[in-house]
Amino acid sequence: MKEHIEDRLNKLEGLNTIELIVKKLNVKKSTAIKKIHELKKMGYVETSGGGKQPRLYRVSITRMQKIGNPGLYDVINKNSPIKLVKPYEHRVIGKNISIEEAIVLAVKSENFRLILASLALFNKVKTWSKLYELAKKENVRRKTGALYELTREIMRARRMNDKTQKLLLNAKHEKKDIIAGMHSEDFKDIEKKWNVHIPFNYNDLRRYKE
Amino acid sequence: MINIEQQNELFKLIGEILKDKLECYVIGGSAMMYYGMKGNTKDIDLVFEHEKDREKIIQVLKNLGYNERGIKVVSIIYPKKKNTPILLERDDSRVDLFVNKIISTVLSNSMKNRINSIYEYGNFTIKVLAPEDLIITKCATERAGDRLDAVEIMKRAKIDWEVIIKESIFQAEVTPYLFPVFLFDFLYELKEDLKAEVPKKVLDEIRKISEDMLEKKLKGKKKIKTF
Repeated sequence: MKEHIEDRLNKLEGLNTIELIVKKLNVKKSTAIKKIHELKKMGYVETSGGGKQPRLYRVSITRMQKIGNPGLYDVINKNSPIKLVKPYEHRVIGKNISIEEAIVLAVKSENFRLILASLALFNKVKTWSKLYELAKKENVRRKTGALYELTREIMRARRMNDKTQKLLLNAKHEKKDIIAGMHSEDFKDIEKKWNVHIPFNYNDLRRYKE
Repeated sequence: MINIEQQNELFKLIGEILKDKLECYVIGGSAMMYYGMKGNTKDIDLVFEHEKDREKIIQVLKNLGYNERGIKVVSIIYPKKKNTPILLERDDSRVDLFVNKIISTVLSNSMKNRINSIYEYGNFTIKVLAPEDLIITKCATERAGDRLDAVEIMKRAKIDWEVIIKESIFQAEVTPYLFPVFLFDFLYELKEDLKAEVPKKVLDEIRKISEDMLEKKLKGKKKIKTF
């Protein structure tokens, strides 16, 4: 690594605004913009915000190769108002994760926050039959159906056709718990209908009402 | 030598051939390429949790024209070492396949939890070990190239030395080796000979842990295992 790049990375490591960069590098604003964009081109910087929000620059001295396409966390963060902190970088090579696949992967994960954030994706499903096939492959049909019905109750979601709903409902040989040991106090009717334990109460879904 | 594009192509092909999902961990130069720390590597190092997974990949690679390298070659590359991998090669491409142990280092649960990134190539999923764990695995090999790699990792990543210290203590508990002793030697050499940026405080702490461990071992009068 060239000496001046390494030096710049060490000075800017972490989250920055452009004003902070001006201060840390002791340069004028136009120069700061140029220098941060040089680092961004090399893959050391991730940006967020912009528009009404202040733009933030996350500078990392370790540069993960952006191979392939966005993984599960990126797809959910792009499509859900509930944002997730990525425990690791997930990239998929050779294909893109569809909305339907992201929902099923989230249900399968048994991760509270991941499933919660994925509920918003039901409004973006393009092919219900694809969702069914994926849920069938991962043996989470009734769970997917129950979460869909829960989503319809608390926010806008595209309407699932009757055939897919029936197929999801009639699935057999599935565990009841979406997340082991967790069940709902507020959605017992959905739990009874789908014979699954929903891990959410109204309070957990508050973020979607805001 | 293999670059990141060639590595990706191979993994993608394996992912297309595999009938069921299979995952493994990548270490060494291959992992460093994912971090952008290296442009190419002599071989691809993969670690599997189960022997049957390694067997599946060996079969796939053999069907792609890879041949197993002889025991003599293995002993040259990994002299006097146990838990040596199965080495396969085809033309310029070499793949080393380990199961759970990388020479004298165990693939621990904490290493698995620290993974930095996951790359999915169809049915083949690659998990990349954290920079700290790449250093731990490199300290056991006694190869000059691995020393240079370790220095490069220290330059290009913000190393959490506490992680390395704790992991070395854990490795000493689960393997017959006094890991902190060898880690100290390794890091001391890197600092002295290759001017690596190893904080003095860290070296002092590892030295203290090593001395305490050696003392306990000598009191117990058990034979001290070397790598």
